[in-house]
Amino acid sequence: MDTLGFLFHGFAVALTPANLVYVFLGSLVGTVIGVLPGLGPTASIALLLPVTIGMDMVSAMIFLAGIYYGAMYGGSTTSILVNIPGEAASVVTCIDGYQMARKGRAGPALGMSAFGSFIGGTASVVAVMLISPFLAETALKFGPPEMFALLFFAFTCIGSLAGKSKARGLLMACVGLLLGSVGTDDMHGVDRFVFGTLYLRDGIGLVPLAMGLFGMGEILYNIERREETGSILETPKNLLPTLQDWIDSLWPIVRGTALGFGIGILPGGMPAVASLLSYAVEKRVAKRPETFGTGAIEGVAGPETANNAATAGGFVPLLTLGIPTNSVLALMLAALMLHGVTPGPLLLFKWPDVFWGVIASMYIGNVMLLILNLPMIGLFVQILKVPYGILSPLIIMFVMLGAYGLNNSVTDVLATLVFGVAGYLMKRYGLEPAPLVLAFVLGPMLENNLSKALIMSHRNPAFFFTRPISGTLLTLAFLVLLYPLAMGGWRRWAAARRG
Amino acid sequence: MNVDRALGMGSALAAIPVTAASWEYGIGSFRTPGAGFWPFCIALAMLGLGAALFLRPTPAAAVADGAGSRWRPFAIGLVSLALYVVTLEPLGYAVATTILLVVQLRWVEAYPWRSSVTIAVLSAVISLVVFRTLLKVPLPLGILPLPRGW
Repeated sequence: MDTLGFLFHGFAVALTPANLVYVFLGSLVGTVIGVLPGLGPTASIALLLPVTIGMDMVSAMIFLAGIYYGAMYGGSTTSILVNIPGEAASVVTCIDGYQMARKGRAGPALGMSAFGSFIGGTASVVAVMLISPFLAETALKFGPPEMFALLFFAFTCIGSLAGKSKARGLLMACVGLLLGSVGTDDMHGVDRFVFGTLYLRDGIGLVPLAMGLFGMGEILYNIERREETGSILETPKNLLPTLQDWIDSLWPIVRGTALGFGIGILPGGMPAVASLLSYAVEKRVAKRPETFGTGAIEGVAGPETANNAATAGGFVPLLTLGIPTNSVLALMLAALMLHGVTPGPLLLFKWPDVFWGVIASMYIGNVMLLILNLPMIGLFVQILKVPYGILSPLIIMFVMLGAYGLNNSVTDVLATLVFGVAGYLMKRYGLEPAPLVLAFVLGPMLENNLSKALIMSHRNPAFFFTRPISGTLLTLAFLVLLYPLAMGGWRRWAAARRG
Repeated sequence: MNVDRALGMGSALAAIPVTAASWEYGIGSFRTPGAGFWPFCIALAMLGLGAALFLRPTPAAAVADGAGSRWRPFAIGLVSLALYVVTLEPLGYAVATTILLVVQLRWVEAYPWRSSVTIAVLSAVISLVVFRTLLKVPLPLGILPLPRGW
């Protein structure tokens, strides 16, 4: 069967009544989560992961993917209307989106954001569909050294792209690796860092870790530092952009799609990074860069397109190599494993229903979201009017419920609370939880492949560099690691020469 | 102390017991890595990064200060969550959750008694019914006098 044949098969899977309901529910839940400040897609997917255990494998993935790209659509609403980003990828939308709203142009800002998201998301899904089979076939030839090199490259990118400080990002990643090594070692059967407890022998659960760091940590932080906006929310009347808006937004949407997809497939390529880069590019290439920050529609169209394109792009390494590029995709990897699917290049061949069903559902979901977002904006405005003081205890209740429901165990609830306090402290002191969670997921895979590759190496330290793929990937990884150091040294040297 | 310096010191100090534990698990050799090989590599990375952060020439951004902080509600919220973990099984989901929500709404979010109790009871009961009957999550019933098998 060719790509088109597989795609039709995917549509046959995604268009069943049950899966259509899950696409709709996922998109709707995702949009609401995106609209609500303080509850991002990572926490929400972690929260809903236990609920998906009872679902069919394909339906679960369709539902979770819908939440992810739905959150990207919804995130712009709060950015534009109340100057508070619904999630990290919509931070830059605040800059020009809110200024447009203040000038009475909230409607066109929301409209262009929805259209840009639709175009970026759909074009990116086409690219995922075309690239993934080729990548999966190539990855089938990978042995442990190549997989180790690929994972090591992914690991160095995470540290480099997370937060303001690369060293802090890498340190958080090390903490994630250490937490990932807790439990009985697969290769030797030795219990590591279990402190005599039965609970830790199976390792720390990804869901309590992610729910604690992202969900509970965020809530505790918001309890301590509540910022009242005092905004008066009005439902925007006309949502359709003008012809001039379309002319101004055309190239930002095209550039945002390409940039977003490119960032999305890179390890560490979070949608937030894509939207930030898109804004920087648009400002640089703009004929009138001085209009940025005062309500330029290009500053909304580009980033909103880019974050949706990055969302779809992230599915390429997840579904073909089994490598999650951000914390949301790490949870989706956990969902796959919970359903007995082995993520990696074989997924495409052994579980084509999952791959092509998810791809087809993304086409359907993008159309649904475009139809949903514009007429339902009034409802989202009403949701935004619910005081955070009521939402916060209810979110706490759902986090605790989700933690308990995972294994029907109070220990998971305790673990969520412990990681919640850790998440609060990390947020308070400017430490990124994303590299920690990603390293936690990648760590066991990295260790496993390193051990196998070392056994294969026959005491030859240059072994990794004698194989072309692993050699290239490791060289790239070292370049990523050394580039900031080299640039810093160069700047200091240049500054010393000047003065 | 600057956050980076504190982190650097903490990381380097944490690397010591990790190294000791790795030794105990068995580091092995380059060709035949033992169970402690991987944690040993992590400890080395933590030591290196810790040193880099500690010796950083330019101090990083300032630590979040205490301005605008709501310490009292935060402390009450945290204690109520810890008590929730302890009481979830003996008291049961509905009772423990109602108490947690009342504390959160009344003392953390400063809502009036009547709204706090109404929202708490409704949320706990609705979520119990939905999760126990529809999603089949066996939430603990505790002291709630419900018929066996419900």
